[in-house]
Amino acid sequence: MRKLYVVAALLALVGLADALYLTIEHVTGQSVRCTIISGCSAVLSSPYAVVAGIPLAALGAAAYFTVFSLAILTLFGYPRVALVLRAIVITMFAISVWLMYLQAFVIREFCQYCLLSALITTALLVVTVIAPRLVRGGASV
Amino acid sequence: MKRILPFIIILVVLGVALGSAWYLTRTIPASPTLGSQSPSGSQTPSSQGSPVAQQQQKPPVVQGVPGADPPHVLGPADAPIKIEEFGDFECPPCGIFHPILQQMHQEFGDKMQITFREFPLVPTHQHALAAASAAEAAGLQGKFWEMHDMIYEHQNDWKKEFDVRPIFEGYAKQIGIDVERYNRDMNGELVAQRIFADGKRGHSLGVKGTPTVFMNGREVPFENLPAEKLRVVIQNELRSGGK
Repeated sequence: MRKLYVVAALLALVGLADALYLTIEHVTGQSVRCTIISGCSAVLSSPYAVVAGIPLAALGAAAYFTVFSLAILTLFGYPRVALVLRAIVITMFAISVWLMYLQAFVIREFCQYCLLSALITTALLVVTVIAPRLVRGGASV
Repeated sequence: MKRILPFIIILVVLGVALGSAWYLTRTIPASPTLGSQSPSGSQTPSSQGSPVAQQQQKPPVVQGVPGADPPHVLGPADAPIKIEEFGDFECPPCGIFHPILQQMHQEFGDKMQITFREFPLVPTHQHALAAASAAEAAGLQGKFWEMHDMIYEHQNDWKKEFDVRPIFEGYAKQIGIDVERYNRDMNGELVAQRIFADGKRGHSLGVKGTPTVFMNGREVPFENLPAEKLRVVIQNELRSGGK
């Protein structure tokens, strides 16, 4: 069970790096220019990339940092933190599904770093919500 | 110690994250979205001591290999400001930059000459090549700028369509060119050669994305392309006489 939270902390670190990179791209406007390899310009310059004046990527970075912190606290035996961690991860997953929908059907452009973030959030859901239930289910048999 | 250790780890990660974000935003120059107001958006044409004026360290003049000949040019050959834009008709920031450049051309009139170079980002933009071909085909009948404006101004109408050729053909009819010849030229060798030549020139100048704008042979940093900043950059260039 402890190993799951180590994996969750590591996943959150990768997510944090990804979200920080996207935030910097957004703030500095580097992705706003169209380039041969980037698919992020349309996504980052869309109105969906900002919530109440804050870049969505920055909110993502804050969420990943929170997940990292909670995973570390759970690892060190702090009680009830895992519950909050699960609630945040489920919320992040729901937002990721919405953002994937926006990219696929509204903006109709995919940003590879946003896809990576969605992948990490899905992995976090598996590691912190689904796997602990399976482990507990297996242990009770 | 065991009670404190997780908080130390969390603080270290927070420090590294904030530190690297601070370092990277310092090393990469901040640039607002094209057309948006910068924090110092009150810059006026007379703001000589503006951040743009102070920060503008002139990059070297670059020559590059020749592009399509003759190029698509607006304005007099002896204009002190010569703008060369590498653009992709499907690129949203190019669509945003289009009215900015038009506005600058209106404001500076005969002091400015504009050259447009094709730089379709294939395969990032699926219709960019067709759009460039349409503009070039119209250009062979002397109506490049009319088609250029039409394609940019209706960017949102065609870029999500599956087949853009009938749409561009409609534009060709609207600007009054021989549509039969236009359709022949769209797929012709001459149009392909012109786009290829412009692309070669772009690559020789180090163009990596669009819009990339050169003024009197020097690249204008992307963050200086919003109207209020570009205006100051042009005025500084006029004052310095291109030196």
